[in-house]
Amino acid sequence: MEIIQVVGIGILSTVLILVLKEQKPMFAFLLTTAAGILIFLFLIGKIGTILGTLERVAESSGMEMIYIKTVFKIIGISYIAEFGAQIVRDAGQESIASKIELAGKVLIMVLAVPIISIIIETVMKLLPA
Amino acid sequence: MSWLSGWLHELILVVLMAAFVEMLLPSKSMERYARLVLSLLVLLTMLSPIVSMLKGDASKELSLAMEQQERSGGLLSGTGDGADSLEKILADGRMLAEGARDQSLKLAAEEIAGQMRDQIAGSTGIRGVNVTVTLGMGPNPSAPLGEEVPVISSVTVDMPVAGAVAASGIPGSAEGSQPAAGPASEPIRITPVEPVQVSLDKDGAASEGSGAATGASQPSAAGNGTQEEQAAAVIEAESVKRLLEQNWNLDPDSIHVLSGGTSAVKS
Repeated sequence: MEIIQVVGIGILSTVLILVLKEQKPMFAFLLTTAAGILIFLFLIGKIGTILGTLERVAESSGMEMIYIKTVFKIIGISYIAEFGAQIVRDAGQESIASKIELAGKVLIMVLAVPIISIIIETVMKLLPA
Repeated sequence: MSWLSGWLHELILVVLMAAFVEMLLPSKSMERYARLVLSLLVLLTMLSPIVSMLKGDASKELSLAMEQQERSGGLLSGTGDGADSLEKILADGRMLAEGARDQSLKLAAEEIAGQMRDQIAGSTGIRGVNVTVTLGMGPNPSAPLGEEVPVISSVTVDMPVAGAVAASGIPGSAEGSQPAAGPASEPIRITPVEPVQVSLDKDGAASEGSGAATGASQPSAAGNGTQEEQAAAVIEAESVKRLLEQNWNLDPDSIHVLSGGTSAVKS
């Protein structure tokens, strides 16, 4: 039933925004942002459930927590960057949106640096000197 | 074979999680990057037996590297910096711990001095004594190889002037209320001169008593220091010493009892 709520909020805000856009474009943008945040907050609890389940399963099966932490960081960075970029894109600032996405990509790549360094060090040690 | 099952276990879980997380990702643009990191994680899990053979635990290495990265503000820096800062942090910690130990020793010394004062007052009835306790670190007798424990290195008991207390009758008024007792309230000046070692020896007590008597007769407020009074003070000091010896299990050499009359004269 939650999907109906989300779709309802989406359609309602779209109609309102279309009406409002003729009179006050500024308020139409605010309404867009508010609707986006509302849907995001609505979903954040569900995402939390999924991640909690993943964490519990990993913990009970004895998986290393550092892997889970890295994966969660990736998910968090990509969601936040995506959300911010789309809001900015709605306001018509395509270039800033792409910068936000770039920042998200770079931060995800930074997470990979320790992993890459360990793998490379191991491979270098395996190679004959 | 247990390591093999553990390794397979972990590998399957990481692959499953990576597939699951990839679906969870919001957009196509991020997907490529996230997939790279996830595949690196899978690769690291596959290599973990080799990593642990060559370098130690793979996950520990990874968490260490992550922590180092976070500390250095997001980018990898030289390991030398990290080692330096670790040394510095350890040195700071040692310094702080020493400071805290000194402070706690001082507090404990004050507490012990207060308890000794109460015991002396309770068992001998002498009030207004000034007890100074010096604590030091010494080996623990119950555990020779264990850490050092605080021990009482010396105790100085400053007896009030017998005549002054008797004259005023107010407990604790030996310091400052009478002119003769004035110097006795400054143990810093008194102790280095010559701490009076009290012994049961009759001759020693007599000579000390007479030596004190000649001086004690000079100040007017100290009263007429007769031989009997001095002998009584010596006996009192002896009882205080024995009390502290028994109650605190102390070495008799570490207890110094300063009679108020004599010390006032000597200073």
